[in-house]
Parts: sequence; C-alpha cells; structure tokens
Amino acid sequence: MTDPKPARTNAGPRRTLADFSVPSEPGNERLAMETVAEAVRPFDISGENLERLKTAVAEATMNAMEHGNKYRAEVPAEIQVLVMDRDLVVRITDRGSGPPPPRDGDTPDLEAKLEGMQTARGWGLFLIKSMVDEMNITGDEGHHTVELVVHLEPEGGK
Amino acid sequence: MAVRHLNVEVRREGGVAVLDLVGEINGFAEEGLNAAYSEAEAQDPKTILLNFEGVDYINSTGIALIVGLLARARASHRSLLACNLSEHYVEIFNITRLSDFMSVFPDEESAVAEASVS
Repeated sequence: MTDPKPARTNAGPRRTLADFSVPSEPGNERLAMETVAEAVRPFDISGENLERLKTAVAEATMNAMEHGNKYRAEVPAEIQVLVMDRDLVVRITDRGSGPPPPRDGDTPDLEAKLEGMQTARGWGLFLIKSMVDEMNITGDEGHHTVELVVHLEPEGGK
Repeated sequence: MAVRHLNVEVRREGGVAVLDLVGEINGFAEEGLNAAYSEAEAQDPKTILLNFEGVDYINSTGIALIVGLLARARASHRSLLACNLSEHYVEIFNITRLSDFMSVFPDEESAVAEASVS
C-alpha cells in the first residue's frame, strides 16, 4: 500500500495506531469503521463519541470509494489512524483527481428535499462535520485526503 | 465484513401499518424498503411506523431513502413515525432535522398509542 500523503503536519509526538486499506466496493465502509473502532479501543472513548467517530469514518470512506475511486475495487481507499499530541486523527485517502470537495458545502435543506427541489442525497459531508471536532480536506493531482480530528480531552471530545 | 441486507416485514397494528426493519439501511436497501412501503401504503393506513429495532447501521444513503419515504408520506397526507432508534441515530435524526418531520418514539407501544389519538 502506498503511504497516504499527510493532510497537514502537526508538531509533537505522533503514533500510528493503524494503517490499512479497503477495496472500493459498496459496503466496505463498515469494514473501515470497525477496524478504526478496534484501533482506538485503548483510548476508552465513550460510547456515544465512539459512535460519532464510526459514522464519520464510514461516511468519509464511502465518499472516497464512491466519488474518489468510482467504486473501482482495485483502487483502495487508504486509512491511517494516528495520535498527535492530544488529538486522534483519522486520514482517509482516495485516488480522486481534480479539486477536492469543498469543506464548507451547503447544509442540506430537508424541506427542499421533501418538496423535490433537491436530490434526497447529499448528507455525507454534513454528517462527517457534525460527528467530529474538526474535518480537513486536502488534495493534489492524484489524491484527496479527508482528515477527521477528535480531541482527546479528559472529558472526551465532541 | 458481509453486508447485512435489509429485510422488512409489514404488519398492521390497529390503524397503523408497521414496517419491521432488520439489517442495514444503506444503498442496498432501496428496493426492499420502497417495496415494503408500497405494501404498507396499499393498506391505506393513516399512519406508517418505521420500527428500527433490528437496525444497527444507517448511512447517508439510508438517510436519503428515509427522506424519500417521508416525501411519499407527505404527498399522500399520511403520518410517518419512527421508533426504537438507538441513541446515536436519534441524534442523527435530530441534526438532519428528520425528527422535525417525523415523530420519533422510544418504542412501538408509545408510537401506536400516539397514532391512535391523533
């Protein structure tokens, strides 16, 4: 597996908890989600915070497989789980080309969706941003990386 | 990890058509979920209740499918209710505002009781 390009640098101690990839096939976001949950188990993240992280990882992996890798099974979505200082960082990298998706897309308008004015889809980025403390998106000609950050404060993150 | 495809059973509780959902609500669930909703709709109930007791995973595509059911319910002037969501998915129904348009109940009994008086 090719090492994913880091989305940003972060001073201080850094430890890799997991570094793996999944084939870009529908449903594999759950494999990514459960693998990340296992990797962060030593941090004893509370139940609801863990569920939020799992949802963010699943949605970001699904976006990577669908939009970045076009569900080509031979093109993996690459996932790194790191601890940097007091942050838990999950980076999900695809092989998408072109500009990365905007970080601050519109909040989905449910009423417009119910009236048929907007597609019913389009919840992924909104869910990701709602589930973690920070979300960063970077990219170059051949990769997009979504970085999820959860602050590991004594009381827990978001 | 194998995908747990959605199975849906449709039954009647008084004036309420109940959809018992078991499995994952994701892109694979579209056909089954819409077919089960159509089966419930054919009974012409005033209220349709989605029972999430057997659901352990809903992704953003699943949210979109539920939005589609809600649009169908509104178009035919039916109430769509939800029950037995986990705490995490109650939060997701809140932040997506789904819970502004479909009441969420902790269990089937309270949902059916509410439907019977409204």
